[in-house]
Formats: sequence, structure tokens, C-alpha cells
Amino acid sequence: MKQLFYLTTSLFLIIILAGGCSKSNDAQVDTEYPVIDLSAASAFPQQCGIVKRGESFTFRARLSDNFELGSVSVDVHHNFDHHTHSTEVSACQMEAIKTAVKPFLLIRTFPIAAGLKQYEIAEQITVPADVDPGDYHFLIRLTDKEGWQTVKGISIKIQ
Amino acid sequence: MVNKVFQPVGGIIWLFKNAAAACVFFVFGIGLFIPQQLLGQQTNLKGRVIHADGQPLFGAIIKVEGATQHWVTDSAGSFSLKVTGIHHRLTISHVGYKTASKHIDAGAGFIEIKLQPLNTQLAEVVVKDSHADDRRASESMNVEIVDKDFIRRNLGGSLMATLSRLPGIKTIGIGSGQSKPLIRGLGFNRVVVADKGIKHEGQQWGADHGLELDQFAAQEVEILKGAASFMYGADAIAGVVDVKPTLPPKANSVGGSIDLIGKTNNNLYGTSVNLYGRNKNWFFDSRISYQNYGDYAVPADTVFVYDYAVKLHNKRLRNTAGHETGLHLDAGFIGSKFRSVFYVSNVFSKSGFFANAHGLEPRRVDTLLHDRSSRDIQFPYQQVNHFKLINRSQYQAGRHLLQADLGYQHNFRQEYSQYVNHGYMPANYPDTMRIPQTLERQFDKHVYSINLRDKILLGSHELNLGVSAEHQNNNISGWSFLVPAFKQAAAGAYLYDKIRLNDTWLLHGAIRYDYSRINISGYSDWFLSEGTRLSRANSMSRTFNSLVWSAGANYTPGGVLSIKANIGKSFRVPIAKELAANGVNYHYFSYERGNPSLNAEQSYQADVSLNLNAGKWLVVLSPFYNYFPNYIYLNPTSAHDYFYGAGNQVFEYQQSRVMRYGGELQIRYQLTPAISAEALAEYLLSRQLSGAKEGYTLPFSPPPSVLFNLTYQTQGEGRSAKPYFSVDYRITAAQNNIVPPERKTPGSQLWNIQAGTQLKWFNRPLNLSLQVQNVFNTRYLNHTSFYRLIELPEAGRNIILSLKVPFGDSRL
Repeated sequence: MKQLFYLTTSLFLIIILAGGCSKSNDAQVDTEYPVIDLSAASAFPQQCGIVKRGESFTFRARLSDNFELGSVSVDVHHNFDHHTHSTEVSACQMEAIKTAVKPFLLIRTFPIAAGLKQYEIAEQITVPADVDPGDYHFLIRLTDKEGWQTVKGISIKIQ
Repeated sequence: MVNKVFQPVGGIIWLFKNAAAACVFFVFGIGLFIPQQLLGQQTNLKGRVIHADGQPLFGAIIKVEGATQHWVTDSAGSFSLKVTGIHHRLTISHVGYKTASKHIDAGAGFIEIKLQPLNTQLAEVVVKDSHADDRRASESMNVEIVDKDFIRRNLGGSLMATLSRLPGIKTIGIGSGQSKPLIRGLGFNRVVVADKGIKHEGQQWGADHGLELDQFAAQEVEILKGAASFMYGADAIAGVVDVKPTLPPKANSVGGSIDLIGKTNNNLYGTSVNLYGRNKNWFFDSRISYQNYGDYAVPADTVFVYDYAVKLHNKRLRNTAGHETGLHLDAGFIGSKFRSVFYVSNVFSKSGFFANAHGLEPRRVDTLLHDRSSRDIQFPYQQVNHFKLINRSQYQAGRHLLQADLGYQHNFRQEYSQYVNHGYMPANYPDTMRIPQTLERQFDKHVYSINLRDKILLGSHELNLGVSAEHQNNNISGWSFLVPAFKQAAAGAYLYDKIRLNDTWLLHGAIRYDYSRINISGYSDWFLSEGTRLSRANSMSRTFNSLVWSAGANYTPGGVLSIKANIGKSFRVPIAKELAANGVNYHYFSYERGNPSLNAEQSYQADVSLNLNAGKWLVVLSPFYNYFPNYIYLNPTSAHDYFYGAGNQVFEYQQSRVMRYGGELQIRYQLTPAISAEALAEYLLSRQLSGAKEGYTLPFSPPPSVLFNLTYQTQGEGRSAKPYFSVDYRITAAQNNIVPPERKTPGSQLWNIQAGTQLKWFNRPLNLSLQVQNVFNTRYLNHTSFYRLIELPEAGRNIILSLKVPFGDSRL
């Protein structure tokens, strides 16, 4: 019985000690997602926003992270079939479902300089004059240095 | 800081590496010098083995602990054996009967041993089934064994979900009928699922599939936790889920049973019909199972997929309905020395994916179409067919027991979904494509396996020698690309020695060598990305060699305490996806990049199991420590790739040092002969010690949890033998220890109730089981669920009623 007592006690001690070490490290890892903020008046595009064919617009958003930002990627693709990527609560007035002929497609990644916690992105995007007008998705993906990713999907219209 | 704390780890690894070879040598070495018997006097033991009803049992096998040979009873059930020494422990086994174990002293006179048939409830009351206990006592790894009864009482959505009641076992689930096992937080290709002795193949594709196994067809499931590669080969890093086939029926019998099952949560109805027969030596055993279920219900009107509110119709997750069919035929010959059994099975399932999110991608749905019926299956859905043909044969020749398992399996999986032009894919699906527009992915896998074993009883040694080989051919189709096609061949050989030093000590030592080769086919996109047809996978070929070992000991001094310990090395060959993936997984919005230079993953694990069995108390404590020098990890980086990755986040396969530790604690107290209380606790901590995610945990790490149970189980015989009533209360802690792309999961508390009884119906036992899962319809999240990332709550209250009606001759 004595032997048993020693064994169990030492095993529990090992577990407790091991658990103890782990706690001292827990605080060090970052578990926060980066933030895409489109609340500023200058932020563009907004949910249900409109951009014009043959013109340029500036994608503006405030990007932030508690530790360090990684990179940002923008994807504009048609939503003529009414699929959804929207992460926004408010729905927009959609046009009728239609078949794409020459939809606008833009996939772009924008690296962010190292060491930044905040970044005001301002990137000019040109919409060609000959693309299909209609409902589009504007998808923003933002990572931080640790690999946490926040996705924001906005419905826009190209006129 | 991190390095400082983990300095002891280095020491342990040094010990692992250097002690390993010495340990194996030591174990083998000791055995050779042990005299076979220390006491010289020979005595004659005579007796008879009979069936519970008094009929003599022919062909029962009698083993005497420590003796080199074993004896077989004649047609009168009689045996006569010569042994030396005074005290003897006899193990008497017979196909279809519970193995009995008896202590006999020399001069005990004529011994009569009654064997209890398996599968009768009555028998369990009279004789304690010692076979599972014996297995636990003679295995140095941590082993859990559950039988048909356990499965019936705790029936979950799938066999793996049923097993998740056990401490240290969790599942990665999707929907109500699909799940994969997680043993101590490791899953996928780090757990081997063996079905009828052959490794079940089909886990490699992704998280959102289940295992094609029919719960009704499982006789017994054995779960090994720990480094089991030495027996099961590559992949058995975290452990093994070994699903045992039904035992053959008793001689000269014809019979069967009908199972009926219903579940309220997803309106499941199902049945399984079994029919068997046997003359003296030939038998057949067949089964047809069918289950059909609707969309499952969650305690929520609205769920949030990436913050996007999804209104649910009748609180049901749209399009999670499904159905599955299982066909099984076992047939073979059973003799006293030779037996050969063929197992043919085909399991088919079709099930929908939650329509508002395919994978993790939010989707707009046509609610009119989807909410018309909760039973129909619309896009997106998957269907899987798994066919198996297995032959298991064995021949007893003196000290040798020769066994051969041959298997062929075909796993055919298809995922159907409306065409969505992700990334640079053309807006409209081209007419020229040969692949149907709705076929998103298709995996077609053919596997041929062979295992040969020889078990030799040599004095105090039980030697197992084995070779195994496997060939796989994997093809893909569909408009989306995730994993390239590949061919794989592997072969291995092992030697395992189990040495019974004396009644107190049992030593184990094993060594195994494996060779494998993988040939990956190239893959190019069918569409242009900015004018270029991208090559997604380059054809390549890699070979891997691996030497693994295991050493263990069981210490059973008699009395209340027994201890076992095991230390071993396991390995895993990188899969095609890890080596050569180069595509976007829209289930995760991830661009997954394989790493062709990955090495075979290695794992060292030490296990201890402390068993205290004192009167009314049973305490089992099983801690473990596990170290990977090169864990293969899919690392979410901070980069996006606009070209190959179509703007998605880059996930790269890399290897990092990982350590894990934890354990399970089981405490049971018998309050009265009928009432018992039990607590099952589990704890796991994983940490990456190097690489980009140093300091982080591993994905899908289950949070600590404890399950309290109170069971009332009558012991008496009578009209309704063995009614039981049991309450489970599980407390799961929050999981705040996460790694990208996971989310913190709050803790939860759940109540489950199990009850059942056996009625007599025309003198036949008739089993009725009732279960209430999630009694209070609690809304909670499961950290290891695939749908966790899109915040889908787990299933709400579920009442499960099942009935088993046997007919014909009783099953053994």
C-alpha cells in the first residue's frame, strides 16, 4: 500500500508540475484575430456600394492587429448566381439572376510592411469599361503575422 | 524562455533514443535465461469442459500459464494434461464462448469447467467475462475494450461517435452521421482503424468525411492508446481502433435477429437484419442494415456563419439528411485446427452538407427548395461506397499458430455541388468538360493488403512474427482539386516477444522495419489563371524507411495494485496531400502547399497505467508523454497568394517538434451491488516546440473534461433480466489554447440518460434500450467538430429507442 501511495503521489505531482510549466507559457501566444474596419466615413467600398465601369476607385480600410499585421488580399468576383460570401448582416437589393458573359475578376494581394500594428490601406482599383455590370462580391482577407485570418465579404454593384 | 522550460524534454528524448535499443535487447535477453519451470514434480490434471447446459464441448483449447504447449478437448469434452508444479492458472477458450480462467492446485481431482456462451445476457450474471480483463492485463499499452452491449447502450450517430464516451477518445464530426476518431487529440492518419484485421483505408481525403463502418456489424471494439506502429505499421502513432467481426455461430444452429432503431433529433429510422447458420464446420452469417435520417436539429433559431446570420427552418440544419446501407456476408470453415473465413461487405452512404455553408464557405440558399422537406438531399452532398473482401485464415500446428489476413477494399467517394467559379475558374462551366458540372470531387481508392503472422509458444515466451504488405491505387476526378492521384506500396516485418517471467511480471519487446514508396501523379488545372494553365502537382516519387520499437512491462503482484508501462516509437509516412498539394481548399479558404521534402513523421511515447482494484473501488490512472521530433503540421502563414492560391491565405506543410502529455483517470465505486458511481476524466496538453507556431497547441486539441456517471444495474434473473438505468453528466472545460485557424470554445455541461431492459418474448430475450442525449437541449459548441469554425452548435435533445428481436436458435 505504501508503495502505491508513493506511486500515485508522484504521478499526480508530475501531472501538476507539468501543468504548471504550461501555464507559464500560455500568455505568450497571440490568439487574437486582425480587424478590418470599414466604419470610417472614408472607407470604401461599403456594403451595397456602387462602382462605375471604366473608372477607378480607391479601396480604403483601416486594418489593425494587436501584435503585427501580415498581408491583405482582395478578390472581386461576380455574384450573378446569388451565391453568398457576404459577412454583412444587411442584404442588398439584388438584380435578377443572369449568366455571366465577361464578368470582372480581380485577385490582388497587398503585402504590408513588417512591424505594423495599424495600416490604412489605400489601393487604386480600375474597373474596365467592357465588363458585365451587376452584382459583385468584394472579398477582403486580412492575416496577421501568426496566421490568424479575418474575412470580410461585401456586396457591391458595378454600373 | 521556452527552451529553458523544456530542457528536460531533451533529456527524455536522449533516454528514449539510447535506452530503446538496450531495452528491447534486455527484454529479449532476460527471457532466454529463465528456466521453464523451477519445480520439477509432474502432476496429471484431468477434467471436462462443458457448455452451460451440460453438453460436452469439443475443441476447447486449454492453456496452462507458463507451459509450452496447449491441449484440446475431445468429443466428450475431456482433457488430460501433465504439468509440473503445484499452482496452475488454466485458460480455457472455445470459439463462441467466453474464455474462462481458473486456478487449479495439483491434486484437485477431476475438474469440470463450464463455459458460458457469448451474447447471452444471462451468462454475464453467472460468470464474469474475463476475456477483456485478460486482454487488458496482458497488454502493456493502454487498452479499452467495448462490446455490443456498450454499443447498444451508447449508440451515437456513427460507431466513432459511440466510442467517444470513453476517456481519451473524441471524434472530429460533421453532421449527425459522420465522424473520425481522435485518440488523445490525434486523428486522421495518426490513428489506424482496423476492420477484421485489415486497415480501413479512406481517411486521407479530408476532415469532412466519416468512416464507412456499420455499427450493427461490430462485435467488439478494441482501442489501443499509444505507440502501436510495431503491430499495425505506419500511422498507428496515436493508437488503433480495432473493430472485431462477429464471432461464428455455434455448431448446428440457424437463427437471426432484427434490430429496430429510431431517433427523434434527426427523425432517424433504421433496421438491421441478421441471419446465420452453421452445421458442424461450415457457417454463414449475413446482415443487412439500413438507416435513413433527416436534417438534424440544434437548439437555435439562427446560427452565425462568419457573423452572417442564417435563419433556420424548424431549428434544423438545412440539408444534413442522409441514408446508409450496409450489406455483410461472412462465410467459412471452422475446424479444430484450421479455420478460414471470408468477409464480404459493402457500406454505402449518402449525406448532405449544411447548405448554408459548404465546408466553411457561406452560401446563399434557395430556402423554398431546401425547406420543402427535411428528408431530401440537395446540393451539396457526398456519397461513399466502401466495398471489402477479406479472408482470415488460421492453422494451429503444434506450438505455432499461423494466421493470414488477405484483403481488398474499394473506397469510392464523390462530392456533388453546384459549380462555383472560385478564383480564376471560368464564370460558366465549359460544355467541353468531360467531368459532370456537379461533380466537385471524386476519390477512387483500391487497396490490396496482406498480413501474415506466426504466433509461437516457446517456454515462457509468446513470440509473434509477422510480415505485411499493402498496395494502393488512388485516382481523382471532379472540377475542384485538393489531392493528386497517387500509388503507394508498403511492406513491413516485425518481431514481438511477450515473456511471462512469473505470475507478477510480464515483459514485452518488439521491433519492426517498414519500407514504403509513394508515386504521385502530376495535375494541371483545366482552366487558365491569367493566361497560364497552372501545374498543381508535379509527378514525384519518394521512398521511406522506418525502424520502430516498443518495450513494455506488466506488473501484477496480486492484491489491489497492478501497473503497466510501455515506451515505444511509431511512425507515419507523409500522405500525398502533405507532399504534393498545391491547390485551394475552399472548405477553409486556404491555399495548401505541400512540401516534397517532408520526412516520415516519428513519434516517441511513454505510457503508464496504474490500476487499483480494491473491493468496491476501482481506480485507473493512465498518464502519457509523447514527443514528435518532426510532426507534420499544416501551417497557416501570414501570406496570401494571388496566382496559385487565387488570393487565399497560404497554408504550408512543415515539420516541427511537438510534445504532448496528458492522461485519463477512471474512478469507480460500487455503492451497492446494484448501484455504481463512476468518474471518467481526461486531460491533454499539446505544444509545438519549434517552427512558425512555436508555443502554440495543435489543431483539434480536446479540452479537459470529466464525465460523472451513476448506474443502476439489477443483477437478478427473472422475467425481465438486467434492467439498467444510467445517467451521464459531462463537464467540458473551455478550450482557450488554440492555433490558427481555430476559435476559442466555451465550456459546456451535458446530461445523457441510458436505460434498458431485457424482456422475454416466446422464451427469447428481447433487448430494449432507450437513450436521451443532451437531455436539457443545451446549446453548446464542440471544439473538435468540423462545424465548430462556423459556430454551428451541436445537436439538440435526441431520444434513441432501439429494440433487438432474436429468432431461431439462440446465438451461442
